[in-house]
Amino acid sequence: MAYRTYLMVCAGTGCVANNSMKIKEKLEDELLKRGIHNEVSVVTTGCNGFCAAGPLMVVQPDGVFYQLLKESDIPLLVEEHFIKGRPVKKLMYTPPKEKSSIPKMSDIPFFANQTLIALKNRGLIDPEKIDEYIARGGYEALAKVLTTMTSEEVIKEIKDSGLRGRGGGGFPTGIKWETCKRMEADTRYVICNADEGDPGAFMDRSIIESDPHAVLEGMCIGAFAIGASDGYIYIRNEYPIALQRLQVAIKQAREYGLLGKNIFGTDFSFDVRIVRGAGAFVCGESTALMASIEGKPGEPRAKYVHTVEKGLHDKPTCLNNVETWANVAQIITRGASWFSSIGTGDVSEDAWGGSKGTKVFSLSGKVNNTGLIEVPMGISLRQIIYDIGGGIKDGKKFKAVQTGGPSGGFIPESLLDLPVDYEELTRVGSMMGSGGMVVTDEDNCMVEMAKYFLSFTQAESCGKCIPCREGTKRMLDILEKITTGEGTEEDLVLLEELSYMVVDSSLCALGGSAPNPVLTTLKYFRDEYETHVRDKKCPAHCCKALIKYSIDPNICVEKGHGCGVCSKSCPDGAIIGESKQVHYIDLMKCGKCGICYDSCKFNAIYIE
Amino acid sequence: MIKLTIDGKQLEVFEDTSILKAAEKAGIWIPTMCHCDYIEPYGVCRLCSVEVVKGKRSRIVTACNYPVREGLTVRTNSERVKWIRKIIMELMLSRWPNVPAVKEMAEQLGISKPRFESKEKDEAEDACILCGMCVNVCNDLVGKGVLGFSKMGIEREVVLPYNERSEECIACGACAYVCPTKHIKVKSLEYERGAIQDWSLASKTAIYVPTMQAVPRVPTIDEASCINKQTGGCKACQTYCEPGAINYDMKDEEIEVEVGQILITTGYQLMDLTKMPQFGYGRLDNVYSSLDFEHMLNSTGPTNGTIQCKDGSVPRAVGIIHCIGSRDENYHKYCSRVCCMYALKFAHLIKDRTTAEVYQFYIDMRAFGKGYEEFYKRLLDEGVNMIRGKVGEVTECRVDGEKPFLKVACEDTLIGKFREIPLDMVILCPAIESNADSSDLKKIFSISQSPDKFFLERHPKLDPMSTMTDGIFIAGCAQGPKDIPDSVAQASGAAAKILSLISVGEVAVDPIKAEIVEERCSGCRICNNLCPYGAISYIDEKKISFINDMLCKGCGTCVAACPSSVITGKGFTDAQIMAEIEGLLAI
Ligand SMILES: Cc1cc2nc3c(=O)[nH]c(=O)nc-3n(C[C@H](O)[C@H](O)[C@H](O)COP(=O)(O)O)c2cc1C
Ligand code: SF4
Ligand code: FES
Repeated sequence: MAYRTYLMVCAGTGCVANNSMKIKEKLEDELLKRGIHNEVSVVTTGCNGFCAAGPLMVVQPDGVFYQLLKESDIPLLVEEHFIKGRPVKKLMYTPPKEKSSIPKMSDIPFFANQTLIALKNRGLIDPEKIDEYIARGGYEALAKVLTTMTSEEVIKEIKDSGLRGRGGGGFPTGIKWETCKRMEADTRYVICNADEGDPGAFMDRSIIESDPHAVLEGMCIGAFAIGASDGYIYIRNEYPIALQRLQVAIKQAREYGLLGKNIFGTDFSFDVRIVRGAGAFVCGESTALMASIEGKPGEPRAKYVHTVEKGLHDKPTCLNNVETWANVAQIITRGASWFSSIGTGDVSEDAWGGSKGTKVFSLSGKVNNTGLIEVPMGISLRQIIYDIGGGIKDGKKFKAVQTGGPSGGFIPESLLDLPVDYEELTRVGSMMGSGGMVVTDEDNCMVEMAKYFLSFTQAESCGKCIPCREGTKRMLDILEKITTGEGTEEDLVLLEELSYMVVDSSLCALGGSAPNPVLTTLKYFRDEYETHVRDKKCPAHCCKALIKYSIDPNICVEKGHGCGVCSKSCPDGAIIGESKQVHYIDLMKCGKCGICYDSCKFNAIYIE
Repeated sequence: MIKLTIDGKQLEVFEDTSILKAAEKAGIWIPTMCHCDYIEPYGVCRLCSVEVVKGKRSRIVTACNYPVREGLTVRTNSERVKWIRKIIMELMLSRWPNVPAVKEMAEQLGISKPRFESKEKDEAEDACILCGMCVNVCNDLVGKGVLGFSKMGIEREVVLPYNERSEECIACGACAYVCPTKHIKVKSLEYERGAIQDWSLASKTAIYVPTMQAVPRVPTIDEASCINKQTGGCKACQTYCEPGAINYDMKDEEIEVEVGQILITTGYQLMDLTKMPQFGYGRLDNVYSSLDFEHMLNSTGPTNGTIQCKDGSVPRAVGIIHCIGSRDENYHKYCSRVCCMYALKFAHLIKDRTTAEVYQFYIDMRAFGKGYEEFYKRLLDEGVNMIRGKVGEVTECRVDGEKPFLKVACEDTLIGKFREIPLDMVILCPAIESNADSSDLKKIFSISQSPDKFFLERHPKLDPMSTMTDGIFIAGCAQGPKDIPDSVAQASGAAAKILSLISVGEVAVDPIKAEIVEERCSGCRICNNLCPYGAISYIDEKKISFINDMLCKGCGTCVAACPSSVITGKGFTDAQIMAEIEGLLAI
């Protein structure tokens, strides 16, 4: 049955957590009540990426975007928009500092500046319906590959496209496939890495939640190219929705004969199994992941013999990231030259010569529009942060952006015009990583930030090798010393030396990259470290041990007339003063929580 | 073979050899802390880091597991490598400052004081340094997988599953063997519980030369403790045996030999001391059996012949308790005959090798042999304390601040007082017993046992080495407790007896025998077990009983017992006897 209008309600994890399923029910109820349920259909979709605006909904075909929906908004919305045809302005997106709202999704800068390949179906299909995927050209590429191409041709196409691993390392995918295919073996495996252990990153989850078949199709094509008949998807158990959508997708694909024996009537057979991981960050590392699939402890091993030679069960294994797989089908359908026309550099000679296609980032931190974005390679960081991200929150000053997940480095303002490109990011001490992007502003202390990320990698270190296990802990100890005002200049030297050594000699890339946040902040924000150790001050007023709250007596009496709000709100009872008189902070008692600072309406409280 | 350069030295090795092995070949030392030859390199200490140079670029790899390739250039001692090793050692030293293995390595690399302060510092000398060798040896070599790691990052530790004693552990000791810090110790559970007698003071390997005097002096594999026999893994001895002499498929064989005469010299066993818990054997440290102590005295034994307590200290006083289970109404009434003299020997050796006081707790001194009494006198002169009286119990005492000692409570019948003697070591002299399986032998050979379970001789004075069964002889402690000279004398006598029969070449037997009329035997087998000489056997194929003429003594038991009256005595048939009776009556 055809409907006049489709309401695409986002059912990504972010929106579901914000009650979008209730919104959906309420919508259906209301449509039924108003008797228009035969004209307007409610569809649940995967994540739209603009999670900060959730629960959200897109009205198709006209593309009107509604955000921050509440159940109580629904009757009005149905009445106004779907019966009277008057879109509801107050539920639309309004850019910060502007007055008028933007009705259409495609006009909202957050979406307008994106290029969708891996996420091309996001918000447009119901991920649990294979027919909707097929209707948008799904499994065409697989048919093309199986019926008209040889495996060499497939590999060549991927090589020519310049596709590189989206999971962190940026290894050229075509070369990986080719090496794997060249190895002599009776069995080969393909694996999809959906472990996604970076805190705050949800690119892979989103892709699976909104378009699981794209991943399956990519894996199928990869398996054909390298000659594998078994595939695994390693996904963390903390992703229940993604897991369930994958299960549904695999079931449907099997029913349609797109997985299993003799796909498309050819003699190519391939099936996929799901392996659930317990969520250790290190299990995203290729050798640890394979050990985990084999039922062994998830610890990396030396990769002097590569996994494409000896991987899972010692067989040649091709491991790619979710996003990498999701790109494959479209490269086949639209051609390598289309793909390589997007991005930087030239990959026709040197596979490492450029970064092609798009990259999905999860943009978070101090920007106005946080969420998931897919941008063409080569876009500048400035464009991402200011055009898509809508600039820094509350008009604060930008300080640094950290790319590549917890082991990425911080990039300062002077390098904001850096294009997003594997080599460029690495050159400045950071990395593409899996696509985390955390924006910090003037209120963030860089030492504190470095400590924060290092504490994550330190806790997630598997503990196998000494440099990472002992080294990161000692680094953390030194950072702790610095942030509590006990650091010395020698500590800075030692910290830097230790960082370089951990990078140099760790067994796997976790240890090999964990010091990046420290090294880049030491490089670009050394003065902040020095202020911490020399002056025992934290310029961003973050490190509790190094700050002191004080009340300006003049403002307190003159403007605030000793209102006493601060002393009432202080949990430690540290603020003394008679009503209408000057108030003081008893530093012995002060727990430095900052509540008084926020509570004083007259800004009489300041931080030293 | 491929060519590579290490520190400027050119050499040729097989492809895929590790840099570590290649360097070894070139005589270049690379420090390692997690590598051992039995297992695949684990590559975690990173101390073996070396620099691999490719063109202008170089990178750090670990020598223990990096496979060499043609044309490789390696630097094992560059500034960068030294710097990495230095920091690794600093990290290790800051965490395990007192572990000798760590300290030695640091010293070798010229690092003294670490620049770091570790919050996880473990001051123990035998701290676990997480090298993983035990885990790997258990998983990969032994194939048991009992040990593993738990927790992540800095909290990592080596554990048994659920931190419990694992039923899977075969106590092979491989983990303790590879552990560089002696953090892992093997405890014999059996010994601890006192369930079985542990005659050794130290564990021996599963492949061993039985004794230094063994002939031929070749190693043998102890199937019960060989890891390969239990898990199919290990095979370490095969890997290391250059002549390739190890064969795991060899099986124990049963060999049948036909002989005319047999001399039984099965010896004895020592009484299980845990049956008398009051003496603390298997429960208290430093309470040993006499055999344990012999082991300790042996120059090839676990302590190379030095007399020492479990903690390695020299005992200040040693007690030797006689007659444990001998001359005891509750255990064995007999005297074990050898204990007095070996106890004196022990006393002499203890006096000789240490300055310890020695106490003998005895009931009577039985120094009956040639020169024995003289030896006893000599020991009295040496100052051995002789306490006549039975020992009540041995207990452990702890006084604050001192090491625990043993206390022997006894009655000194010579002065008529109850005494308590503090000692560092107690040696028990357990009774000599006939072997546990002697009743089985008794059945097999149709010989008898006296009430004390030793085999019964034909005549205690006139024929002490023969048994009631012809051709079966006994000697040594199989017949009864005795010392070595007596055993040798008895065995020589038995051998002479046997030889005298062999030299004749034939045996003369009495003509009086029982005889079965085969056709009429019903095969009831009543006679089979009645024969005191075991001469009757049953022939399965014919389903009749059969009398072995050589063994039959013509006693007539079977003749009387046969329900079908088909057994007769040769020359003593019913008809003959009747005729004789008639003849007598006719007179
Ligand atoms: C500590 C660590 C964590 C990683 N976590 C992930 C992850 O969560 N997801 C992922 O796809 N790749 C992860 N990687 C990268 C993988 O090892 C591997 O390079 C990647 O899956 C290969 O796929 P690609 O070539 O498509 O990127 C991680 C690497 C390291 C060292
Ligand atoms: S670098 Fe860290 S995570 Fe990687 S093996 Fe070493 S301890 Fe484990
Ligand atoms: S010996 Fe190579 S890493 Fe330890």
